[in-house]
Amino acid sequence: MKKQRIALLGAAVATAVALAACGSNSGGASPSSSAAADANAVVQVGSLYEPQNLDNTAGGGQGITEAFNGNVYEGLFRLTDDGKVEPLLATANTVSADGLTYTFTLRDGVKFHSGKALTSADVKYSIEKVLAPDSKSARKSSFPEIKSIATPDPKTVTVTLATRSISFIYNLSYVWIVNDQAGNLSAKEDGTGPYTLDGWKRGSSLTLKKNPSYWGTAATNGGVVFHYFTDGSALDNALLTNAVDVVTSEQNPDALAQFTDNPAYKVNDGHSTTKLLLAFNDRVAPFNDVKVRKAVSSAIDDKKLLQSIWGDHGELIGSMVPPTDPWHTDLTGVNAYDVAGAKALLAEAGHPNGFTFTLDTPNYDPHPTVAAFVKSELAKVGITVNINVITPDQWYTKVYQNKDFTATLQEHVNDRDVVWYGDPNFYWGYDNPQVTAWIKQAEQAGSEAEQTELLKKADQQIAADAASDWLYLYPQIVVASTKLSGYPVNGLNSQFYAYGIHKG
Amino acid sequence: MRRRVFLIAGIVLVALVVGIALVSLFWTPFPAADTTGGRLEGPGAHHLLGTDKLGRDLLTRLMIGARIAVAVGLGAVALGAVVGGVAGLLAGFANRWLDDTLAALLDILIAFPTLLLAMLVVAARGASLGSAIVAIGLAMSAIVARLTRVLVKRVLAMDYVTLARTSGVSWPRIVTAHVLPNIWPTMAVNLALQFGLAVLAEASLSYLGLGPPPPNASWGRLLQEAQSTVLTAPIGAIAPGVLLVVLVVGVNLLADGLRDVADPTRRGHR
Repeated sequence: MKKQRIALLGAAVATAVALAACGSNSGGASPSSSAAADANAVVQVGSLYEPQNLDNTAGGGQGITEAFNGNVYEGLFRLTDDGKVEPLLATANTVSADGLTYTFTLRDGVKFHSGKALTSADVKYSIEKVLAPDSKSARKSSFPEIKSIATPDPKTVTVTLATRSISFIYNLSYVWIVNDQAGNLSAKEDGTGPYTLDGWKRGSSLTLKKNPSYWGTAATNGGVVFHYFTDGSALDNALLTNAVDVVTSEQNPDALAQFTDNPAYKVNDGHSTTKLLLAFNDRVAPFNDVKVRKAVSSAIDDKKLLQSIWGDHGELIGSMVPPTDPWHTDLTGVNAYDVAGAKALLAEAGHPNGFTFTLDTPNYDPHPTVAAFVKSELAKVGITVNINVITPDQWYTKVYQNKDFTATLQEHVNDRDVVWYGDPNFYWGYDNPQVTAWIKQAEQAGSEAEQTELLKKADQQIAADAASDWLYLYPQIVVASTKLSGYPVNGLNSQFYAYGIHKG
Repeated sequence: MRRRVFLIAGIVLVALVVGIALVSLFWTPFPAADTTGGRLEGPGAHHLLGTDKLGRDLLTRLMIGARIAVAVGLGAVALGAVVGGVAGLLAGFANRWLDDTLAALLDILIAFPTLLLAMLVVAARGASLGSAIVAIGLAMSAIVARLTRVLVKRVLAMDYVTLARTSGVSWPRIVTAHVLPNIWPTMAVNLALQFGLAVLAEASLSYLGLGPPPPNASWGRLLQEAQSTVLTAPIGAIAPGVLLVVLVVGVNLLADGLRDVADPTRRGHR
């Protein structure tokens, strides 16, 4: 009995003090003495996103995009850190008058890491790999139907589409060009990028070293090591103790104080494309009524919520389109915070005394905290929220696949994803034939101006209809040692180009 | 005498937390869902212990947490005592074959980590206050049953009980007249210790997100929520941690003191 009691006390004390000990390291990096960058220095990167495998068409996850996109593998086009699409392995492309046939000319002198020269056959193989039936590429469904891919000569690829697709070039920036002879790439690589894979310790780190025979401008550092952490505090401590030079995506605003006050670190506030949604099931009562959706959207103080979760970081959004998308309009004034207006709308909709609904809430941060806030806000207009906490797997099956929900919280990470509101079968079930038509026409538009115009119209309509409640846009916070410069700060779609980083 | 001090200290600490829990039923400084405070306000006149990220009053949430902790402790102990007590009595009275089977089952149940068992219950029933009580109570019942079985067997082996049995006294009469009066002091001490373990188990479950769902202010959840803000607002982690220690230490001191007062086998050792 004695022993048990001691263990009991020990456990209680440990629970109480363990948290206080977290991240209490006050040490910092000393400012660098040498001003000149060392072209052979190795950059130590700290990340929370370890790859599942090394193939982005086999479910490698956002971790492999972060480590390999642009670093080890390259596409015909590149999405720059400020959201522009520019040619990379393609030097020129022409589009036929009907917008269905694209002809790409490949860059000369490009070699894979295995030594083989890049040919049009590799490009054909790579595109087909993304579109294959067993492909798990996140971008697979964004591609238009491809009728044929022809390779008239080793330097030319001709792709014929079944329908016009203005986003085709943009979507190609996610297609890694791989060696068609390479075989299974889930544990090795054969790309054309400025780095080659030097080693991968599962659960720990992934090492890239400079590719000495790169076709373009060589990397400004000798290599990169991605260190993987599962806990944000541990990652912060690694940065404080110089174990890593940069944290790709800081998720805790309250950990930033230890870096903002320290001259050895720089905190960068970039743009992300991750939006937090209170997604209604627009098919079912009471959210099939636009007035109810507008009332709920106006009853929640998004500004206070954002401030609660992210402190002074992040920004408000009025719709699914973040400011970095070309068709952004500031719609934060639509269904803005207005409790009296919300009550009036509820009364008009036949719910003068409110109603009760269940909010399916993923069990990881920040969703449970956000759910508690939504519950307390909606209580003010008479709506009772039952919070149902579920795992990510349950969310995928119950909400995403079976659409068996009334409302849910979810973060949507991709850019240019307003187009999902054009699909009535998507999980939130928004079905406005006009919006569906606009989004379809936008994809088949003849010019980007026309596409932008149509998507702006669609965006304004979904905002007016309160298709979902867009709570806020996440910040993208990169914290780095001041010894580093030239790192990307926006992390669009979780990519992290390392080849321009100087370490001095 | 030293023991008496422990007992009194235990009673004071437990009474403190139970008192807070009772008061919270009638009064808290702010309504539970009130988010009018600022983000992570420090302790002050308006919010005595400050606020959390959402601007909720920390003292209010701690008081509600005390209510949840006491409710889970009492609920789990009641469930564990009834289920475990009955199973233990049965095993104690049973014939050899049934006794061996029950004992083996109990050993298997005890070998299951409480948290793993709790996760199974939560997966089956969904996360709620009831699930937490059922999960912890079930895990506890195995321990209670094993103890009850041993105590019952010891009493049944006494000469006067054998005499009563051979002279035809009925089973229920033996249980009420001889078994229960002899085993309850040890049982009470053990259940008090189990109360402390149940409170810690609930805090662990809530910390892992398997306890009562938000906005329930379980201490384990408060600790979890305060984890990310421990550098800027340490009070959010310290306060629920201290209360957890106060309750569990209090219950343990109380159990220790109770044992000396109530356990007949230890009288005279003082």
